[in-house]
Amino acid sequence: MNEVQKLINNIKLFFSYRELLFNLARREISQRYKQSILGYAWVILNPLFQLLVLTFVFSTIFRVSSFNVPYAIFLIVGLLPWNFFAQSLSSSVNALTSNSSLITKIYFPREILVYGTIMAKIVDFFYSCLVLILFFIYFKVPLNSQILWVIPIFIIQLIFTAGLSLLISTFNLFYRDIQYLLNLVISLWFYLTPILYPVEQFPEKYRWIFIFNPMSVIINAYRQTVLGGGEPNLNSLGIATVTSILFFIVSFLIFKKSEGKFADYV
Amino acid sequence: MSNMIEAENLTKKYSLAKQRTFKEFLPALFSGQETKTNLLALSHLNFEIKKGESLGVLGKNGSGKSTLLKIIAGVTKPSDGRITVNGRVAPLIELGAGFHPELTGRENTYLNGSILGLRKKQMDKLYPEIVKFSELEEFMDQPVKFYSSGMYMRLAFSVAVAEKPDILLVDEILAVGDSKFQEKCLRRIKEFQNLGSTLILVTHSPEQIQNYCEKVLVLDKGKQIYFGEAKAGIEKYKETLGI
Repeated sequence: MNEVQKLINNIKLFFSYRELLFNLARREISQRYKQSILGYAWVILNPLFQLLVLTFVFSTIFRVSSFNVPYAIFLIVGLLPWNFFAQSLSSSVNALTSNSSLITKIYFPREILVYGTIMAKIVDFFYSCLVLILFFIYFKVPLNSQILWVIPIFIIQLIFTAGLSLLISTFNLFYRDIQYLLNLVISLWFYLTPILYPVEQFPEKYRWIFIFNPMSVIINAYRQTVLGGGEPNLNSLGIATVTSILFFIVSFLIFKKSEGKFADYV
Repeated sequence: MSNMIEAENLTKKYSLAKQRTFKEFLPALFSGQETKTNLLALSHLNFEIKKGESLGVLGKNGSGKSTLLKIIAGVTKPSDGRITVNGRVAPLIELGAGFHPELTGRENTYLNGSILGLRKKQMDKLYPEIVKFSELEEFMDQPVKFYSSGMYMRLAFSVAVAEKPDILLVDEILAVGDSKFQEKCLRRIKEFQNLGSTLILVTHSPEQIQNYCEKVLVLDKGKQIYFGEAKAGIEKYKETLGI
C-alpha cells in the first residue's frame, strides 16, 4: 500500500513539473543549431544525404530486393524510425551526466531530463518525415487507411525507447563506459535489424535473433502497413508491446531506485 | 506541524571508490586491497527549525555544510536517520546552474523558473519584476553567453528570489555584483524573512549569522558541536577555530 502511495505521489510530482519537460525539450531544440547557417534544415538534410548514399549502395551495387517499391521508399520507411531510436539513445545516455550541475543543486523528478531529450528527438523525427512525404509524392506511392497503424506502432516504439533511455542514462551516470559501449551497440544493432534489407532475405535459421529485438518487429510493422498496405503481424506486434511495457516498467523502477544516489555519484 | 525542518539522527555516509577506472580496479580486487573507503560527511545531527526561524550553519571547510544543504534541498538522501522538510525550497546554492549560454536572458529566465517549479502563468506575472530587479532591461533578448559574469549572477539571483519560498537556502553567495546590488539582495532576503520564510545560511562569517539568524548549527568534521541560540553558537565556533 505504501509503495502504491509512493508511486501516485511520484506521478503527481511529475505532472506538476510538466512545463519543465517542454522547456527542456525547447532548450535542446533551439540551442542545437544556433550559430549554424542552415539551422534546423539539418534535421532534413541529414537523413536525405544518408538516404541518397545508402540507396545508391544497396540498390545499385548490392541489389537488395525491396517488396514491390523503389528501394529508396523501402529504405526510408525503416530508416527514419530507426534514426529516431538511435538518436534518442545516443543523446539520452548523457542526459543526466551533462546536467550534473542541476542534479547536484535542485530537486525535480530526474526522469524529466531523459524525457525532455526524447521529446526533442520526436520533434526532429516529425520534421524529417517531410522527406518521406516528398518521396511518397514523387514516387506516387499508393496509401490506404491501414497507414493509421503507424500511430500505435510509434507509441510502442516510444515506450521501448523511453525504457531503454532511462536504463542507459542511469548506468552511464555510474559507469561512463556505457556511452562508448552504446556507440558500438547501436551501429551493430542497425545491421541486425531489417532496415537495409527485408526480413525475408534474412536466412531462416538465424531469424530467431529478431525475437529478442523489438526494433525489428517495429520496423517490420511500419513496412507492412505503409508499403504492404495490410495489417501488421499482430502476433509479433503483441509480443513486442508486452515486452516494451514490461521493459519500461522495470527500467523506470531501477531509475527511481537509483535517483537518490545520482547527486552523490554524478 | 509548526516545524519547517526537523532532523533526527541525520547521517550521511559517502563511499568513495579508491580506484576510479577498471584498469586500477581489477588488480586491486585480486591483490585484496580495499576498493572503497567510507567518509562520514554528517554524523547524527539533531535539530529543528520552527516556522519563521532562520538557521545559520557554521563550520570549517569540509565540515559537511554543503552536504547538509543538499539533503535539505532534496537532491541527496540521508544514509541514516530522518529529515522532514515542509514547504517549497528555493536553493541559491550555485547561481545560474540551469542557465544555457546559447539561450537569451528571457528564455533562461523561463527555463530556470520551471526548474524551480514555477508555472508559466506565475512566471508571466513575475517576469517584469525579475527584469526590474536584475536591472538588465536592455539585455533580456541577448544570449547570456554575451553577459558579463556580474550580469549573469544578477539575473540568476533575480529569478531565484522572484517568488517567496518557504525555505531559502543560501550558500555563501552574497557576493553578487556590485555592493549596491548586494545590498538589494540582502534587503530582499530580509523581506522574505519578515513574511515568514525560513533562511538557511551557510557562511564563514559570524557577522552575517548575527544579522539574519536566530539559531545556529556548528559543525566540525560532520559532527554537531552545537545547536541553539546564535550568540552562544558563534562563541563555540570561534573556539573550534582556536581563536
